[in-house]
Amino acid sequence: MAASPTPNLPSQASGLAIETRGLTKRFGERTALDGIDLQVPMGSAFGFLGPNGAGKTTIIRTLLGLTHADAGTMAILGHPVPAERSAALKRVGAIVEEPRFHMHLTGRENLRTIAAVRGPEVDARIAPALARVGLSDRADQKVKSYSMGMRQRLGVARCLLADPLLLILDEPTNGLDPGGIQEFREMIRAMVEQEGRTVFISSHLLDEVEKTCDAAAIVDRGKIITQGAISDLADGGSARHELILGVDDADRALGVLGASALVAEARRSDEGLRVVLTGELSSAAQINADLVGAGIGVARLEPVRQSLEQRFLEVTSRLDADLVPDGVKA
Amino acid sequence: MNPAIALRMVGADFLKIRKKYSTLIWALVLALLPVIIFFLVNAIEHSSSPATHEPAGGTEHFITGLRLLGGLFFGPLVAILIGVEAGTSDLSAGVFRDIVVTGRSRLALFASRVPAALALCWSVIVLSYALILLGTFVFAGNLPTPSGTLILNGLGFLLLATGVLCAVSVGFSSLVGSKPGAIIALIAWQLVAGSLISSISSLGSARDGVLSQALSHFSPVNLNGGGHHDHGGPTILNMSGGTALLVLIAWLVVFLGLGSWRTRTMDA
Repeated sequence: MAASPTPNLPSQASGLAIETRGLTKRFGERTALDGIDLQVPMGSAFGFLGPNGAGKTTIIRTLLGLTHADAGTMAILGHPVPAERSAALKRVGAIVEEPRFHMHLTGRENLRTIAAVRGPEVDARIAPALARVGLSDRADQKVKSYSMGMRQRLGVARCLLADPLLLILDEPTNGLDPGGIQEFREMIRAMVEQEGRTVFISSHLLDEVEKTCDAAAIVDRGKIITQGAISDLADGGSARHELILGVDDADRALGVLGASALVAEARRSDEGLRVVLTGELSSAAQINADLVGAGIGVARLEPVRQSLEQRFLEVTSRLDADLVPDGVKA
Repeated sequence: MNPAIALRMVGADFLKIRKKYSTLIWALVLALLPVIIFFLVNAIEHSSSPATHEPAGGTEHFITGLRLLGGLFFGPLVAILIGVEAGTSDLSAGVFRDIVVTGRSRLALFASRVPAALALCWSVIVLSYALILLGTFVFAGNLPTPSGTLILNGLGFLLLATGVLCAVSVGFSSLVGSKPGAIIALIAWQLVAGSLISSISSLGSARDGVLSQALSHFSPVNLNGGGHHDHGGPTILNMSGGTALLVLIAWLVVFLGLGSWRTRTMDA
């Protein structure tokens, strides 16, 4: 695309594209954001994961100045907001909830109205942005004739007008068919890996975040439960480590495993024997040696990697348990 | 803000309302159709019975045409429709938040709506005025035609009356945020409540605050249908030029102020 392939990084870059401290937002009695501390590294695809109503859209709206915060501090691309909101948002593109347009205008005219607000230098980015999202051929048709997927792509084109260092996308794959989702995912990865942009994606689709993002935060009921690299989030939250074993004599193997101090639990599963360790994964080598020493053939020994979905369910259910009043909690 | 960017923003807002054909067509119909019908009917009457019906043009019919357009009915309707469209266009399309996230000041976003609305409103009004002048001169026959001064004053009055109402409509609709609600409220006020309040003599000088009364003060012709004949039109109060000007300024300040306040503070 013609918009600079490697965006200039801000000189005051702190290494964080987004940083919030104690961010709080209330709607009457309800606390939508409860002391959010969020750090989004520059040059990454960052997922903001949570169930519906968790506060994902609220934090985006607060960051972008669409609504005000009740407490806490925020910085975007090194600029404190709202104090330096204009400078902060100059290189930010955002889609909040579903992308909306003037339906009676064409795709190109809609981009022109935004380019007019951003500045004269933005006019030259309209055609490349439309080409980038594959809408050049339909750019002069009215938006009311566009499909949902085309509107999503036009929304991304509108973001690209800012030549963004940071893209903030709220549930970006809503309404896209599987092909569109795959195409969208590739575009996000290209923006991050080839162009050095930061992409912040809010989503309730765990699989989507896991496949698209480098890091994520899990949010629920206005609180960040955990954040970090996707692999750390998936594996790091659980204290227990598990193995899948493929052996030639399952009954004897269960006997050996049952007698081992390294094994907390061993049972049959569809995949083979599922073994829960009492300690770290490194003890897998000793377990293998014990089985082989007992004359049992081991064809498979594989650590079970938790998916982000498992981790998500684990931390949100933990929160549910924490919220149960004292005396009722199991 | 950079004047070049301000101009581009006005151009963008103008594009949004100019291409809203439903509003534009209604504005053109309201501005042109009554004028066409007025001259056409008078021309047919004159041609069918020249002895009893004078020619359709001339000063007398120019004044009637001016009343028709600027006489606080069709012209104001055009101003309200266009002003409300400009005030609510981004909100009703749901793109206000997308403009806010550009980082541009919300005050600038509001401010650009007013000149864009005025540009379109005045374009329609000038077109209609040109049609009045065309009918006035083409169908004048042996009747006297309006002087250059009257023509210019008539144009000035039309631009003032529709301009003030258009700007007030932008402010009010930005405050309300609802296009149908703003149109209904403004029409009800301007065409019904305003006239009603003006006719209640016990309200005394409080009636000077009615916008249409203040605007009427600047009309070069008597808008209540007076002049040669009293047609029983709306009540027109006597007020000083200073008072009329203050009332206009107050309306503009209050509603543009409220509209900009709402635009700056609302959740987008």
